[in-house]
Amino acid sequence: MARGENSESHGSGNVPAAPAPGAASASSGKQAPAAARGADGQSVVRRLQSELMALMMGGDPGVSAFPEGDNIFQWVGTIDGSAATAYEGTSYRLALAFPSDYPYKPPKVRFETPCFHPNVDNHGNICLDILQDKWSSAYDVRTILLSIQSLLGEPNNDSPLNTQAAALWANQEGKPPSFSEPPMLIDHQPVLGSESACSVLLLVCAEFRKMVEKLYKPA
Amino acid sequence: MQLDDSDGALGSWARFCALSGELVGGAGDLSVGPRLAPVVADLCARGLATLVRDYFLHNLEEAFRNNAVKMFWQKFHPYSSSSAVERIRFCVQESWPEDVLSAALEDICLEKSYQEKCVLVLAHALQSYEEKAQNRKLKAVECSSSLMPRYQLMVSSVLLTTLPLSFPEILNVYFKKKLEELNTMVDASDENDQLASHALFGRSNVSAWDSKMDIDSQETVISESCTLVKNIGKVVRDFRCLGFTSMTEDSYSSAIIWLLKSKVYELAGDDYRIPVLGSVKKWIQVVPLQFLHALLTYLGDSVDYDSGLSGLKSPLASRPSSFPGIGVPSEALLRWHMRLEYFAYETLQDLRIGKLFEIIVDYPESSPAIEDLKQCLEYTGQHSKLVDSFISSLRYRLLTAGASTNDILHQYVSTIKALRSIDPTGVFLEAVGEPIRDYLRGRKDTIKCIVTMLTDGFGGNTSGGNAGDNLLEELNRDAENQENADYDDHTNIDEKQAWLNSESWEPDPVEADPLKGSRSRRKIDILGLMVSIIGSKDQLVNEYRVMLAEKLLSKSDFDIDSDIRTLELLKIHFGESSMQKCEIMLNDLIDSKRTNSNIKTSLLNAPGTVAGQEEAEISHDVLDATIISSNFWPPIQTEDLAVPASVDKLLSDFAQRFHQIKTPRKLLWKKNLGTVKLELQFEDRSMQFTVVPVQAAIIMRFQEKPSWTSKALATEIGIPVDSLNRRIGFWTSKGVLTESVGPDADDHIFTIVDSMSDVNKNSIVNESCEAFQMNEDEGESSVASVEEQLKKEMTVYEKFIIGMLTNFGNMTLDKIHNTLKMFCAEPSYDKSLQQLQSFLSGLVSDEKLEMRDGLYLLKK
Repeated sequence: MARGENSESHGSGNVPAAPAPGAASASSGKQAPAAARGADGQSVVRRLQSELMALMMGGDPGVSAFPEGDNIFQWVGTIDGSAATAYEGTSYRLALAFPSDYPYKPPKVRFETPCFHPNVDNHGNICLDILQDKWSSAYDVRTILLSIQSLLGEPNNDSPLNTQAAALWANQEGKPPSFSEPPMLIDHQPVLGSESACSVLLLVCAEFRKMVEKLYKPA
Repeated sequence: MQLDDSDGALGSWARFCALSGELVGGAGDLSVGPRLAPVVADLCARGLATLVRDYFLHNLEEAFRNNAVKMFWQKFHPYSSSSAVERIRFCVQESWPEDVLSAALEDICLEKSYQEKCVLVLAHALQSYEEKAQNRKLKAVECSSSLMPRYQLMVSSVLLTTLPLSFPEILNVYFKKKLEELNTMVDASDENDQLASHALFGRSNVSAWDSKMDIDSQETVISESCTLVKNIGKVVRDFRCLGFTSMTEDSYSSAIIWLLKSKVYELAGDDYRIPVLGSVKKWIQVVPLQFLHALLTYLGDSVDYDSGLSGLKSPLASRPSSFPGIGVPSEALLRWHMRLEYFAYETLQDLRIGKLFEIIVDYPESSPAIEDLKQCLEYTGQHSKLVDSFISSLRYRLLTAGASTNDILHQYVSTIKALRSIDPTGVFLEAVGEPIRDYLRGRKDTIKCIVTMLTDGFGGNTSGGNAGDNLLEELNRDAENQENADYDDHTNIDEKQAWLNSESWEPDPVEADPLKGSRSRRKIDILGLMVSIIGSKDQLVNEYRVMLAEKLLSKSDFDIDSDIRTLELLKIHFGESSMQKCEIMLNDLIDSKRTNSNIKTSLLNAPGTVAGQEEAEISHDVLDATIISSNFWPPIQTEDLAVPASVDKLLSDFAQRFHQIKTPRKLLWKKNLGTVKLELQFEDRSMQFTVVPVQAAIIMRFQEKPSWTSKALATEIGIPVDSLNRRIGFWTSKGVLTESVGPDADDHIFTIVDSMSDVNKNSIVNESCEAFQMNEDEGESSVASVEEQLKKEMTVYEKFIIGMLTNFGNMTLDKIHNTLKMFCAEPSYDKSLQQLQSFLSGLVSDEKLEMRDGLYLLKK
């Protein structure tokens, strides 16, 4: 519940705040927050339940989510940074808030763990087209999580929320891969130290990576 | 009268000393008495009365100690100074302690009575002086009255200070022997009139009091034993007068108790099929009480019965207390009676409790022993002893890895039944049953065994179970009770009955655990207790469903009457809704029968069947289909199988016809299930078999060609080679096929044995027409077992648990449990906290999870 309330207070920026479903349905459990749409609410619950089941049984590596507390409209997600990106070895926590008219409206998704990324602002809000105008009811939790995972490795620099990150990213994209930076830098970080650190260095600008590490504060 | 001439005093004293010495030492000569009196009077007048008395007593003591006491103990010397082994030899001698004892007692009492006379002489002298002194209003020390008590005290203290250690032992032996004598005397007479009073003897325990004992026959015994008792009484009286009152009482009461104990052991023994309490009680009246009565009357202290002690009477004493042949009993006798009965109850109870395990093993046969135990416990109230001892014997003898679950369950059922009769409130049963239930919960096959006990009511129980263990019977009774209860409900409405009910309310026994509800809720119901082992009835119903499915699928006739009966009984107990699926399964069977005949007749009449001429030998008559509604059945194992074309045609015809009749329903064959009866005809013999379809499919291929390689055969039939090899073993073991190694090492060639003469197994010819049954190991399970289903469910839960731990980091057991309950919808989560815990600890030991401070987290 704590996270659900957080989303309310921080939910500004280019993503509108969630209508606080967590608070509304604290006692009614799986019941939809909008009491007037009882029948619809029930079908939303069913849909979310089957999405949860599919997600659990699907077993996609690196992405996961689960309803928080007793409220099926409020989920907690986890995304591991893909290998061979600047986010390798990280694990980001997300908060997903589903509206009562899901899946006709997209869920509000926010980074809980601070994330240095061109399309993520410092409140954790995400700029991703499928979470806004490109949303379709064919998407589900699994596709959202996979999209965000791939967004980490391939930012959309055209609509940045974090201009510093965007600039840094553009800078490294323009430059040829730097061989001069010693790989030792990364080895100092116990969290990020991994076997493929060398190959990461070949592709990614160490400076960007450094910023990612600096901001990365896992729960 | 102050005379201070010391010479006169000394002279009187010297004369007194001489006279008293003469009196004490003189054998029976009391003539000094008159001469003594003036001397004593003189000395008393000088104020020396106490001195006179003390000197005289001292003299007596010396004489008594030196003569009588020494002689007395000398008589027992041979025994006292001998070793333990030799003492036994003494005890074996028939008249040993008796003769010695009575002789010694006689001597010492003679001596004592003489001395008593001496004392009386002096007392007389003193008294006459005191009277005179009183007349003259003179102050004088009262010595005469205290003389006798002082003497008595002196006698007993002398004896007690010189008492040899072994003397109480001798007394014990004496009383034991005497009582045994009395006992055998009574026993003998009892046997004599056994025939006359047979009915009385066989009558049960409680009525012993009112039983009009055959007084006439008893009286002869009494008169016979009267002399014996008189002898004993004399000995007791002699001892009393020597001051050994308490020692003798101890001795004879311990002898009585000892005799009673051995009597109880003798009567009770290891036979649990006859009640013994009644005969024990009767014996108490006939032997020890008669003895005590005679003894007490002889001693003359049984008259004081009107003391106001009635308030102390226990329920035992408040019974109509007319002793046979005794009349109104004295208070002392009543107390003895209470003591003895209580002791008998306690002894019998301890004996039975010690053997309770065996008694319960024998249960319905041993119910008399249980009944005895119940009565004993009612008086002694030592139920907790029973609980403790029984639990420890259970742990030691039943709840071990070596005991089969079936045996434990049978014993549990017997325990329930036995303890139910001891204690209808069920308090002790609860305490005793707890360890059994806990243990059974740890066994995997508990549910299966319970369900088997429930359903296999008609077949003979092979594992030594008797009819009493049959849970089905219990179901039946339960159903009857329920009907009766319903009936009662209608009549019980009137207030009078309600008032009566409330009046008959009794509080729980003190041992009851107040946390566990009152007795009204604690109705003892065996099935309920069984279900409580499992935890929920759903599990039981599920297991039953699987077993029922197995049973129904293996039936080839549609005879399900007994199953319907069982189901109806279960429905009464568990409710209609939970047995709904099972009911549908049975209905499927009934429908199948109807549909079968329907389809068969329509296929016969249909003109299209003419095409099936070439396969004329296989008509639709031979096919019986069990048509099931698969949604309501437990998951069924499927396996691909290509049946021979002729059979396949038959099956598809049948299915088609079914579709026509029951559109839109379709029939999907489970070709691997069912049974096939077939007859194999060879050149010189024919054989009949009942086999599973795979085996039939295998052997039918050999109609086409006489030998096959295993690989070719496997592809033809559509099953894996290893499973083929397993199945084909049946035919080789029956001598129908022979196996030889083919070109490949793992490719065997099977050839049909056409003529018996090829292989010299002539013995087989003799039994050629026997119908072979399926091997035990061939009867594979056609239904997925409950465990497999459970395992499948648990993998879903595992994924959920890993999912939630990924997102939440760490969680407590409760949180995981609640979260699963909330979000795990399909299959819905219905496990208990304990089940989840054991599942989680399984994951921890698989190194998938970690547990730290009560929190579970993912292993990194």
